[in-house]
Amino acid sequence: MTTDALAGLKVLDLSWVVAGPLIGRTLADFGAQVVRVESSVRVETARLMQPFHGGVQDKEGSALFGNCNAGKLGLTLDLKSPEGQQVVRDLVAWADVVVESFSPGQLAKWGLDYDSLRAGKPDLVMLSTSIAGQHGPWSTLAGFGNVGSSLSGFQHLTGYADRLPMGTFGPYTDYVGPRLALVTLLAALENRRRTGEGAYIDVAQVEAGIFFLSPQVAHFGYDGTIAERHGNADAQHVPHGVFACRPEDGKDRFVAVAARDTSEWRALAVAIDRPDLAERADLADADGRRVAEAEIDEAIAAWTAGRSATDVEELLQGVGVPSYLAVNSDDYPTDTQLAHRGHLVELPHPTHGTTVVEGPRYALSETPGRPRAAAPTLGQHNEQVLTDILGYDAERIAVLTEGGILR
Amino acid sequence: MFWEAYAAGKRGVALDLDAEGDVADLRRLAAVADVVVTSWPRALLERLGLDPATLRADRPELICTVVSAFGWDGPKASYADTDLVVWAAGGPLAPHRDGDLPPLRISVPQAFLHAAADAAAGTMLAVLARGTTGRGQVVDVSAQEAVGVATLARVLATAVGDDHPEWQTTPGVRTGRTDQSGSGAATPNSLKKWHCADGMVELHLSMGPAAGGFTNNLFAWLAQESAVSEEIAAWDWRVLPERLVSGELTHDDLDEARAAVRAFLLTKTKAEVLDAAIGRRLLCMAIFDMADIAGSPHLAERGFWGEVAVGERDVRIPGRMAQVRGPEGPRVRGRAPALGEHNDVVLKEWLGRA
Repeated sequence: MTTDALAGLKVLDLSWVVAGPLIGRTLADFGAQVVRVESSVRVETARLMQPFHGGVQDKEGSALFGNCNAGKLGLTLDLKSPEGQQVVRDLVAWADVVVESFSPGQLAKWGLDYDSLRAGKPDLVMLSTSIAGQHGPWSTLAGFGNVGSSLSGFQHLTGYADRLPMGTFGPYTDYVGPRLALVTLLAALENRRRTGEGAYIDVAQVEAGIFFLSPQVAHFGYDGTIAERHGNADAQHVPHGVFACRPEDGKDRFVAVAARDTSEWRALAVAIDRPDLAERADLADADGRRVAEAEIDEAIAAWTAGRSATDVEELLQGVGVPSYLAVNSDDYPTDTQLAHRGHLVELPHPTHGTTVVEGPRYALSETPGRPRAAAPTLGQHNEQVLTDILGYDAERIAVLTEGGILR
Repeated sequence: MFWEAYAAGKRGVALDLDAEGDVADLRRLAAVADVVVTSWPRALLERLGLDPATLRADRPELICTVVSAFGWDGPKASYADTDLVVWAAGGPLAPHRDGDLPPLRISVPQAFLHAAADAAAGTMLAVLARGTTGRGQVVDVSAQEAVGVATLARVLATAVGDDHPEWQTTPGVRTGRTDQSGSGAATPNSLKKWHCADGMVELHLSMGPAAGGFTNNLFAWLAQESAVSEEIAAWDWRVLPERLVSGELTHDDLDEARAAVRAFLLTKTKAEVLDAAIGRRLLCMAIFDMADIAGSPHLAERGFWGEVAVGERDVRIPGRMAQVRGPEGPRVRGRAPALGEHNDVVLKEWLGRA
């Protein structure tokens, strides 16, 4: 029989968009009970973002929202009202963990900041995630992950050397912050298990992003080198690029190809019908190949152009050369390796019949995680949360409803 | 520098995997460890008897975390990999294009950092589970799976029936859908980069109820310095999508607004833009490089940096991935080890070797 790693853990999720909600998503996958509070009036941004079920923009149709919030219980609440804030206080009394992503200082205005909340609950573990952190000159900076990716260096480091910085795909630090936040939160929970001590965790997306550029930071600190963008080229490996293949159904197709050492390079050269390149002494090491990089890339591109991306991947991997189709949304559900791992998970959905979310990225053999249910629709679990978790009676709930608090 | 940064604070043991005695020592170290983390190839681990099944056979309390490009098993588990190949396989590469050029990765390796952070989380979940059950387990991390999140759920588009691969972002054109994110996640790159007096600025003219207010703040700044017509300054960007859909405003009007912003930003420095972003609540940001980051007063004041010795020099690296009150949080505790630097002390402390 398997148990859940986080069985019995109770989490209040006051976060929104991506960086905060992804934390609670993992906690829910591994067995925590997560109550997510949001507003049905000021609809949270992720509900308005692509992709959408059936391609139709709808606040109950965002697959991004679904991916960030699967398995949570949904409560709609007017947090600006004193009555709404009292519901939050009651939920804090129930919870082991609070996750929030309001602008720094906002919760203090409502008396819901860590210092206020821990007064009645010293073992509370609370995590705040923001762009630049809870204190410091930039702490009042508004923003999403694209601000984080500008200030952490990623914007500058993505693009071609001779063109505008391209920036990352989407708000990149939204993908980094929650991972480092989660590790820290889980460590705080282990500490609490051992000592009974609570914790307050302040995660700044900018700092998390810079953490993923630690080698470039160190390089600057060592000798002043400023890392620059350089397309798909790599500091170690040549060749190293993305090549156009035969279009399919009118759509461009690409494959990533690299060689990590001389034997992979020679295997690649032979595979692309250029044994002459394999034999050239000046191309035996990466430095030599870098001098001839344009010539090599041209040879690879000439070979890939007439082939399907899948064929290229299979032919090259067949001789041990790193390569993979540039997987797009159409490919993702049928990728055999992802399917083998059960990465995409179908879940029943009250509006759409079924929905699809990503599963956990790590398989735990004894306490595996999995999304337990689709993300909540607006207010889907109001009754359940207020009655079963908080023990409110019908009269109290009616007062909240009539007062417009549960919106 | 990769090693100096990411091996900081570790002890280093160097062993010869072709020497049976050294491999035996490695097995002995694994036999007393609470957690074994490895990214070695599966075939090598199995040959050395260091695979999870072997290590855990007599020690069910052991946690074994294996990190790989595609996962421990499956049809492509033994594929040759690099950072770029994983980026392609996991989804972030394909949609990230600059015009007609091939898809683009970030210029420095990232895929296995996502996998590493996930491995740390997976390991901590196993540690927490062991606290209850007393049993360890195998944590099998796939970098390919890890990077799916870095697509803002784009990898789910076909699975949920969204067949608009080129997402339209401005209302009133083609699909009529609006990018109402604050980040401009679905807006073309060229519309989000602006030159300023001493570099570049990232700015998305967000519209819609959730984030349009930030653009109102920007135009209030322009109006204050007489850099935009009164008519445009009066727009409420929170309701702009409706006005564009209704035809009340046109894309020529939008272009005029953009032109005003473009001319205005050319007169401002990165520092001025950053100050205004904070003071006026703008979604407008200077594009920083490593020198800008190193000079940040904010990061210094927050005690973000750790200092480690690299050769003869003291070098700053990111020191805290998160800041913690209460228990002491994660922090860099020392420099990366030299090759085999701690052989003696580790073999003594862990194995009782004299």
